Formats: sequence, C-alpha cells, structure tokens
Amino acid sequence: MQVIINILSATFIYLLVAYSFNIIYYTTGFFNLAHAIIITLSGYVSYFFTENIDLPFGVTIVIAVIFSVLVGLLTQLTVYAPLEKRDANPFFKLIASLGLYIVLQNTISVVWGDDTKNFQILKVKKGNEIFGAYITNLQIITILVSLGLFIGGLMFLKYHRVGRNIRAVASNAQLANIIGIDSGKVVLWSFGIGSGLATIAGILVSLDIGLTPSMGFNLLLYGVVAMIIGGVGSTWGLIGGSLLLATAQNLGAYYIDSKWMNAIAYVILILFLIWKPLGFSGKRLKKVEI
Amino acid sequence: MEYILHILIMILLYVMLSQSLTLTAGYSGLISLAHAGFYGIGAYTSAILSVNYGLPFLVTLPLAMIISGVIAIFVSTIALRTVDDYFIIITLGIQVVAFSVMNNWMSLTNGPLGITGIPAISIFGFAFTSKIAFLLLTLVLTALTYFILRNITQSPFGRILIALSEDEIFTKSLGKKVYFAKVASFTIGAMFAAIPGVLYAHYISYIDPTSFTVDESIFILSIVIIGGMRSLWGAAIAAAVLVILPEALRFVGMPSNIAANMRQILYGVALVVMMFKYSNGFGERKSVKAKVPS
Repeated sequence: MQVIINILSATFIYLLVAYSFNIIYYTTGFFNLAHAIIITLSGYVSYFFTENIDLPFGVTIVIAVIFSVLVGLLTQLTVYAPLEKRDANPFFKLIASLGLYIVLQNTISVVWGDDTKNFQILKVKKGNEIFGAYITNLQIITILVSLGLFIGGLMFLKYHRVGRNIRAVASNAQLANIIGIDSGKVVLWSFGIGSGLATIAGILVSLDIGLTPSMGFNLLLYGVVAMIIGGVGSTWGLIGGSLLLATAQNLGAYYIDSKWMNAIAYVILILFLIWKPLGFSGKRLKKVEI
Repeated sequence: MEYILHILIMILLYVMLSQSLTLTAGYSGLISLAHAGFYGIGAYTSAILSVNYGLPFLVTLPLAMIISGVIAIFVSTIALRTVDDYFIIITLGIQVVAFSVMNNWMSLTNGPLGITGIPAISIFGFAFTSKIAFLLLTLVLTALTYFILRNITQSPFGRILIALSEDEIFTKSLGKKVYFAKVASFTIGAMFAAIPGVLYAHYISYIDPTSFTVDESIFILSIVIIGGMRSLWGAAIAAAVLVILPEALRFVGMPSNIAANMRQILYGVALVVMMFKYSNGFGERKSVKAKVPS
C-alpha cells in the first residue's frame, strides 16, 4: 500500500514535468534541455525568498513563477528565436539549449554553492493514515496540484483562444501564420506556460527532497523518458508513460535497491525502444521510414 | 615542471577522447553523450584486470578496447533505431546507466569508494613511473590514435560517414550500408575512448565514478563542437585550450571551485555561439568539400 502511494505521488510529479516540457516541445519541435534549469531555479528562488528575506511561502511561489517565466521567455527571445530565424534544425537548438543549461546551472552553483539545501517548510508530522499506509500532506498536495494543473492545462489548450492558437501553431506553423496567428507570440505563450508549470513542479520536489543544482536535470530526464515511453505528442500517453516509469522505479526501489532508480528509468526506455519503438501512441520517431 | 607535465598528459588524454568522438559525432553526425561512459569502461576494465588479476598493460589495453567495443556494438544497435534528438537522449541514458553501474555495483567496481592501488604501466620490464616517461607513452598512443582516425576519416568509409550525416536516404540509395556504417563509427569511437581511460587509470592510480559523469560527456562533446566538428586538429586545439583554461583562471587568482564553474560557463556560452555559427549544418566546411574528388 505504501508503495502505491509513493508511486502515485511520483507519477504526478513526472506527469507535471513531462507536461510542462511537452507544451514547449509541442509548439517548437525541439528538446529544450534548458527547461531543467527552470525547475532548479524556481526551487532556489523560492528558497532564497523564504529563508533569507522571510517572505511568506505563498508569496515566494508567485515570485518564483514570475522569475521562471521571465527566464523561460528570455531564453526563447535571445537564443531560440534568433536560431529559428537562421533556419537551424531542431537538433542544433537542442545543443544550444544544452549550452544554455550548463551556463545557468553553473551560475546557480556559483551563487548558492553545490551542497544540498534543506527546504522543508511543510514539516513531516506523521502523515495521514489511509488503508494502513501513511500519506504525507506534501504528497496529497503534490497529487492534487499536479492533477489540477494538468487538467487545467488540457482545458486551456482545448477551449481558450490562446490554447487553440498554440495547437494551430503546433500542427502547422506556416498555415497558422497565413490565417493571422502570430506564431512567434504563440511560441512565447507556450514557453511561459511551460515554465510556469515547471516552477510548481520544481518547488514541490524541492520541498520533498531538498535542493541541489543538478536536481532539475534528473527530473527533466524522467519527464522526457515518460514522454518518449508514452509516445510523443499524445497527451494521454504522458499519463501512461509517467505511471509506468514511476511504477517501475518504485517497485525497483522496493525489491532491489533505491540506488538503481536512475538506471531503471533508462533501462525501461531502452527496453521500450526494442519492444515498441514507437511508444504507446505509435507515433513515428523517425522522420522517414526507409 | 611536474605540474606542466601533468597538464600536458591531461591535454593528450582529452585530445584522444575528443578525436575519437570527432569520428562519431563530427563525421557521422551521431552526437553522443555517452563518451565518458566508454572512457570509464576502459578505465575500470584495466583497473580491475590489473589490480585483481595482475595482468600487464599490453594485455589490459586491448581487452579494455574490446570490451568497450562490444558494449558499444550492443548499445548502438539499439540506440540507432532512433535519430537526432532521440538518439541524444538515448546516449544520455546509456551514460547514466554506465555511471550507475560504476557507482552501485559494489562487488565489481567498489562503488563510490573507487579502486585504489592501480599499478604503474610497465612494458617488457620497463616501468613508466616518471611523469616524463608516461608523457612520452601517452604521446605515442595519441599519435597512433590520430593516425588511425585520420586514415579512417579520409578513407572511402569516412566519405560514407560524411554522406550519411548529410543525407541518409540518398546515401542509402547509392547502395551504402548506412546502418552498418553508423554502428561501426560509434563502435570505433568507443574503442578509442577506452585508450585514454586505461591510461588515466594507471596514471592517477586511483579511479572513482565521479570522473566519468554526464558532465564529463558534455565536456568532451563541447571540445568536439568547439573544435569545428569535423576537424581532428581542431578538436586537439580545443582540448588544449579547455584543459588549460581553468588552470589559467586559477593562476589569475580565482578560487579553484569557481574556476571550474567558470570553465563550464565559458564552454556553455561557446556551445551556444557555435550553434549560431553552424545553424546551416556542419557541411559548410570548404576543406571537406575540397577533399571529395570531383
């Protein structure tokens, strides 16, 4: 039972990360690895304002969201948009985002140091008992908030005007431009939304396990693995992918050893590529089948 | 003097690492973030064989290359089912799994504690204990690596690699075995990455998993990209500059932990800048075009 609760809370964290990454991937078509730093940065910003300036935690969340969204927009405006203008293919943007990630991660290391920062505001009392297992308040909040944001995101994409524009640009940017949608603006929107969602994920995780400069990268890679397993471009696949990944990792931690969790994620990814190279949803990974 | 010799040795190790990745990433366009993994496999193979079984360098070196190569064949046949972005993520996965094995398989690799007391290299009774002797040995192996890689890249096989990195379908339509060429290029790159691994293990006489992390892979890839992707000499020069850089920063008076971060920040910026330069593809270099007979 305890395992199931751990699986659930991990699933929803992965889902939130994968979804925030997916929104950007969906509109721009490249793997934005610098997204990892948004996750890390939001944790640090919230930590800094809570511990050093003594603002109430709720306010620091708002500050963290604003900060991360600004950073997300800046990366798009200063690096990816100019690259896009030069017709760089997605692959080059990926490497540029890797460079950007290295720069920002080391900046965080210089500012805050490499040691693990403890950021547990929600003190673990004992947890609430259900069906003989314990669930902490943080886990409940994680599950509810992630689920809420995920559903909210889906509704937004489906019914809001901006959301519909995002989907239009994602399916065909040129055609969207022709009917008067400013695709540059829409991409900015997706960066903003993605960064905002990633902020919440980053803060939730840092409340749970504390802060290190590399926390975002690991988390993002789990999100990416969940996305690839689930099948790229499929929203429901994200849920399946996150669930499968969280289940495998937690069962692995339970039966083998928690130190192998990292490896398990990738072994699953590799097994998936052998057995079902197209993910749950069956979309093509290759541009062309030869 | 010892210090300068040490830096020269480290430069040569990174020259080998980056030149072997130049074949994989530059010529055949398979950007791999698993290179430090193969570097580590080389180091661990040789360390385990020489500490536990007392095998000499001349046996462990080929064995390390073969083991690295076999693992590379196995993983690349899987990873090469994907392309571009996905391939990078998969190689990142291979790197993380390799690191996990080094870090967690206590009985084989001694985990985070690492392997100590790796003996110095000795060939036919001559022990390379002094730095200068070791430098010469490294230099010979680097030259050998360069020579072999240069011949590979300028051979018909090298031209197939360049062709497939620019247009895979067209290359296939000419009857070239694209998949085989990719696997071969990945494997050769991994085998040559094992050589600096072996040298590093015997040189430092102690290895632990932190030398073979994802960051190390990113660093090697940065050297290749900054060096101009398809230039063995470019990679060599970039390796020299990037290895000397933190030492120079420390010389100016920067604290050493910040110097390490500064180096990473600088090569991160360099990566972004290089992407602007290459945004039209890696195939723009004139020398590559000139070498293809018309």
